[in-house]
Amino acid sequence: MKRFLETGNFAIAEAAIIAGCRFFAGYPITPATELAESMSLRLPQVDGVYLQAEDECAAMHLCIGAALGGMKAMTATSGPGFILYADPFGWALGCEMPMVVLNSGRVGPVSGITGAPGQGEFYNTRYPTQGGNYESVVLAPNSAQEAMAMVIEAFYLSERLRMPVTVLADQLITDGWEDISIPETEEEMKEMGMRFWPRKFHPGPDFYPATDALDIPPVQMGKNTGGLCSDWTPTEQGYDIEEVEDHHKHAYRLIYKVRNNRELFAHHYEKKYMDDDPDLVVVSYGTPSRVVNTAVGRARSQGMKVGSLRLINLWPFPDEHFTRKAKYLAVELNWDGQLVREIQRAVPKDSDVHFLGICGDLPTNQDLLETFDKILKNQPLQRKGWEMEAW
Amino acid sequence: MEYYSSNLIEEYLRTRKIPSTACSGCGLGMNHKVVIQAFKELGLKTADIIWGTSIGCAGRQTFATFKGDGFAGTHGRAYAIARGLRIALPPEKKIVLSVGDGDAFGIGLMHLIHSARVNADITVIVHDNLGYQSTGGQFGFTTPMGVKTDSSPYGMFEPNLMSEGMDVMHILKGAGATFLARHVVLADGAMAVESVKKAILNRGFSLVHMPHPCVTNFAMKHLGSRVPVEIFRWFKERTAPLGQEKPNTIWATGIWHDASNTRPEFSEVMWGATEKIRRTGAL
Ligand SMILES: Cc1ncc(C[n+]2csc(CCOP(=O)(O)OP(=O)(O)O)c2C)c(N)n1
Ligand code: SF4
Repeated sequence: MKRFLETGNFAIAEAAIIAGCRFFAGYPITPATELAESMSLRLPQVDGVYLQAEDECAAMHLCIGAALGGMKAMTATSGPGFILYADPFGWALGCEMPMVVLNSGRVGPVSGITGAPGQGEFYNTRYPTQGGNYESVVLAPNSAQEAMAMVIEAFYLSERLRMPVTVLADQLITDGWEDISIPETEEEMKEMGMRFWPRKFHPGPDFYPATDALDIPPVQMGKNTGGLCSDWTPTEQGYDIEEVEDHHKHAYRLIYKVRNNRELFAHHYEKKYMDDDPDLVVVSYGTPSRVVNTAVGRARSQGMKVGSLRLINLWPFPDEHFTRKAKYLAVELNWDGQLVREIQRAVPKDSDVHFLGICGDLPTNQDLLETFDKILKNQPLQRKGWEMEAW
Repeated sequence: MEYYSSNLIEEYLRTRKIPSTACSGCGLGMNHKVVIQAFKELGLKTADIIWGTSIGCAGRQTFATFKGDGFAGTHGRAYAIARGLRIALPPEKKIVLSVGDGDAFGIGLMHLIHSARVNADITVIVHDNLGYQSTGGQFGFTTPMGVKTDSSPYGMFEPNLMSEGMDVMHILKGAGATFLARHVVLADGAMAVESVKKAILNRGFSLVHMPHPCVTNFAMKHLGSRVPVEIFRWFKERTAPLGQEKPNTIWATGIWHDASNTRPEFSEVMWGATEKIRRTGAL
């Protein structure tokens, strides 16, 4: 095991290499630039290729090409680049091409604030492309160390599920400096709970079974299998055809290979002080969860019956954590409230759901403790003149 | 020249997809045939070729027709996919893209230029039906001036890549392409086969621009007739070999630029550098 004091971007580059990634296409954008830089340095040393694309749309298409040729590929960006992935993302989902995408959130909309953390990409990562009829898998770490682990996990899941998997980070994770331990052997990887799945290829001809089965390798070009892969509806023969019945089978697989195999990733969450059915459950993901965990600990010492639920697997949304009628508070790095909407949908009827939004910075312990106290006392939430009762 | 003889079909095409779904009288089939004929004359097997397409008539009508491995990208993106694929494939595999003019010279132009810039070993065949035809016949970036389409009801007047003395070939040459040719198959089919062969043999970025008649939309709107012979005649009158252009020539045909095998090829450069860095830690 090697230890470093380094950035999340550095850790993620090492993680990708450990996971077998040998192709990275990037386009500079804060706060994911240093990941591209790390890859440009590291990939040639391990027999890999780094390409700088003409834009993010090309970057992900370059990854598609490399993946079609049998390589494990990755690309990374922030919100303004993530929207340019929309076109290739749809292709990669529809053609079931494994790859890993990292989105490091900053403050939007548009260019917004580049060097500050934001969480405006919650729904964007669920619906990264048009058309619907698919599920998305999104993992959201809250530290550089966990970002490393989740990138390795994302490669593992992308192979087994045959699809692009997104790691949703934020500026503090990718740009922040932290103590990072990197495994050097397979044993160490296993000890650290990291999983590995090699790239395989499908000999065909049955490329697109209408099944939710795992572990069907992707189509590969250049193996002379007659492999076909297109943005049109594939059938068992791989032909394009415009028939609703065939398209339904295709969509079934895109949706249910994920929904029916949630046990693969549903264990990615963290609960603190949740064993005694707390009155208030504070829900968060990414870096704000680190403050939330501290604040919840302090609230407990002050006698408040509060628990912390930190989501790592964001999508498909883990409804199973929200079956109990209680008070819920979503703490998010945005002012419009995104995670909170999903919690409202998942909780039992008439549950009490609240929202605390802050953006460009983390909430303070003080903010959080005051908010917990008010919610527990059924007092209205008000902060800096922003009316929060709507939630 | 052997025109779609049954052995060409059996050797290279999926018989399930023959006849293609293109409109009867469409010039696309003639172009397609030229490309397959070039494969045959080069002695290439389906295993040697990856067939890539995009959307549009050129893409949709030829995707999955080729018997070997094939992919279709979204609109305009096949050039970026092919560049990534070039990195992953062994150098002896040929990547041939069968695309439309809107795809290559409109939405995909930036990716196309960047593929030429790095001299990626890809052969791009642009089946130019002079506009966006599978969406019903709107003008594109090669539609001749004055031509009426569904989105140029007064006649084409916005400058494009083939107006005012401009030619898309100049752009591609300037960007670094190492083989460029243009052919109108109904006028010089045999030469087209020779150019496609040269394009494939160039270890670098090649593009063969093949304008072809669209009977259903282009001819119907502009000439008021979908009778193939009329649009074929209209095409022929506006085609001349390079150097023998007449005042009304739109398509000067022949080899525009042949710098085959003079520039280092993209994947060779990338893997060469990788190999050296891995061994010595520097370039
Ligand atoms: C991103 C995107 N924009 C628009 C379309 C709609 N579209 C489908 S086919 C087509 C025409 C493409 O034109 P061209 O490449 O010249 O091919 P043609 O149909 O003329 O052969 C268009 C615009 C699309 N499929 N995707
Ligand atoms: S619409 Fe035009 S270009 Fe397309 S297949 Fe029909 S005739 Fe050919």
